[in-house]
Amino acid sequence: MNIFSEIYGTYFRIAARLLENEVTDEKTVRETVQSEGFRDSVLFLPQKLIPGSEDWGLFSRTADGNLRRITKNAPVKVLTGLQKRWLKAKLSDQRIRLFMDEDTLSALEERLAGVSPLYRQGQFGFTDRFSDSDDFLSKDYINNFRKVLDAVKHRKIMYIDYVSGHGKRISGRFVLLKMEYSPKNDKFRAYCYLLRSGRIRSSGIINIGRITSITDTGSVFRTPVSLEDYFSSRKCSAPAIIRVTGERNGIERFMLEFASYEKHTVRDLETGQYTVELWYDEQDETELLIRLLSFGPIIEVLAPKHLRAKAASRIRRQAELLTKYGTENDPCNEKTEEKEHF
Amino acid sequence: MAGFSELIKNFDKTRDYVRDFFIYGCKVRSDFDRKSIRTYGDEKRRVESWMGDYMRYEDSVHGRSVSISVDSGHIPENPLYNAYYSRSFTDNDIRLHFLIIDILNDGESRTLKEIVDILNTDYAQLFDEQTVRNKLREYVEEGIIIAEKSGKTLYYSLSSDRADDYIRSFKGLDDALRFFSETQHFGIVGNSILKMLGLKNDLFFIKHNYIMHTLEDILIPEVLTAMDDKRYVSFMTFSARKQKDGYALGTENQVVPMKILVSVQTGRRYLAAYIPALKRFSAFRFDYMRTLKKGDICDDYDNLKNKFDRNMSRCFGVSFGMRRETGTVTPMKITFFIDEDKEHYVLERLEREKRCCTLEKTGDHLYTLTADVFDPNELMHWAKTFIGRIVRIEGGTDTVRQRFYNDISRMNRMYGGDEDEHIQ
Repeated sequence: MNIFSEIYGTYFRIAARLLENEVTDEKTVRETVQSEGFRDSVLFLPQKLIPGSEDWGLFSRTADGNLRRITKNAPVKVLTGLQKRWLKAKLSDQRIRLFMDEDTLSALEERLAGVSPLYRQGQFGFTDRFSDSDDFLSKDYINNFRKVLDAVKHRKIMYIDYVSGHGKRISGRFVLLKMEYSPKNDKFRAYCYLLRSGRIRSSGIINIGRITSITDTGSVFRTPVSLEDYFSSRKCSAPAIIRVTGERNGIERFMLEFASYEKHTVRDLETGQYTVELWYDEQDETELLIRLLSFGPIIEVLAPKHLRAKAASRIRRQAELLTKYGTENDPCNEKTEEKEHF
Repeated sequence: MAGFSELIKNFDKTRDYVRDFFIYGCKVRSDFDRKSIRTYGDEKRRVESWMGDYMRYEDSVHGRSVSISVDSGHIPENPLYNAYYSRSFTDNDIRLHFLIIDILNDGESRTLKEIVDILNTDYAQLFDEQTVRNKLREYVEEGIIIAEKSGKTLYYSLSSDRADDYIRSFKGLDDALRFFSETQHFGIVGNSILKMLGLKNDLFFIKHNYIMHTLEDILIPEVLTAMDDKRYVSFMTFSARKQKDGYALGTENQVVPMKILVSVQTGRRYLAAYIPALKRFSAFRFDYMRTLKKGDICDDYDNLKNKFDRNMSRCFGVSFGMRRETGTVTPMKITFFIDEDKEHYVLERLEREKRCCTLEKTGDHLYTLTADVFDPNELMHWAKTFIGRIVRIEGGTDTVRQRFYNDISRMNRMYGGDEDEHIQ
């Protein structure tokens, strides 16, 4: 029982899709391979499906040149043991209650009664997750979550009252575009546009846990919305440019920790240092800054100027605090520093 | 490239390449000196084919570098799932898959001989009994087919659990699948159900999304069953640093698995385990692990697990420090300057991120965090996110404290003190 099995594979899935119809044709085969396959599948897969010298024998050629499946029925979509065990494990995840009511969950529990879960929640632990996660069991939270989800699906315009991260109460008409979940914060948020007189005024993000009321206005936002436009409206105008050194295994640690960012990397073969351009959402700049600072002197923020200035200001303030409060060590201990450097 | 196939037999080998392309972002062919040029070319082409638009190329005097650049927070589906969907198979595998499912589609139970006969008479497909028996046995293990004995004869029928039926019967399951298919644990399994149904996640994005974890999911089911069975596991570890130093052969480990620890901020997942040879707990990175196997039953499992649970309460991250079973704990105190009226959000941050530490007000605008943890180094990496607010550090070790002071000194010079030329 292993997910790395051909029965879940792309080739099997494409074959199953094509076998749904009694008769198909070469054009459909190629189009399906193109849309459902890997980038190069069209070079390898059609000849396995279309009768010829290399085919698998799943189709035969009809008199009019079409392709008839050798099976009698469309393939059924049987859930494997692994898939059922995964579903069973999800039943003990609080967040499933956001999607399904108690009666439905009980019915699913009953259906999976003889199945052992793929894992137990206690077998995993999150070491650095923030402690103020959303209350996924709260009735109000569940109601608000479902209204937001429904609004995202149908582009409904909602009247929302919520408290911002700075404690400010905000209300207005919003169109909700997508939902976002952060495993670090264990919170859901919604990407949105604030509307004024039916037009987009600004982009934003609303924490589901901060919503105090949400009501359907009965209107739907019909103007086409591009998520790319939304993201680019929130993206930094210039990437953060970071120099990363190999000290304290810095390159591997940095590359791994910042793996979730869109980035461009250049390596200096002489020094072994990397210069990394990171693109980030402007509203996450402080989060980025503090994470960069936590790497200490093994990385350096080179640009943009304002980000470097913020880093410099915090470091200056830190040095001043250590001086003011008279720490046991002189922060400019050159001798020890050299020793530690190597 | 004669003989090239998009499909693979060996997941571990591909894991290495995908990881290097993804993490380092600037690998050229000569970096993969431990592999042949042909292998590099084939692996690169496969990854390109799976990753499509996420591949980036850059030409330089050192060669063309290849990387995967993904803004993981803004993608509907983890592109690395494709590695799992690339398992190679034989012509018989795919033919028998669809034919057996078709034969059993009516819900009736059939014997092996009946199935072989139907394959021959109704589908003009000649298969020997052994081949069909093996496939049926394999599908019984996968849970697709149910085998029931009547007298001495085995009867095979198709499982009645259908994905489309589940979606119709359990309202909300489709959206739950959309969400869970992109989150831990084993999102790949949820994604395989969505794919089977022709559905896509069009509702959720995942922030702080370490998509590379999915490549480690290949190892984890074995660990989970070993935990359930209270068994040892053995595996090889290959750390990037050791490989660089020429230790390409890896290190063999035999441990008692305790828990899987996930860091949602550093992109690492660990197996926390007891090492009998050293009589201590430790954590092993999954991305450095290969060829994991279950071993014998550990008679002392419950006792070790109790000790582990007690120890975890003093683990700031995943490090058990240099302690042995009862070991040393190094209390540390870090004092922060916070203006409560204007900077209440900093206090809130400390509260939600302090984990097993305690926080108390110790003076005007001063708050002291007490950390009774095994490894002060782990604490300091986090504490440095508060640069600009740390008043003093007490306890821990001299090395850890001195490193912090030196770091601040070096950073102060790096950023130009009061006269940073980059800022002016």
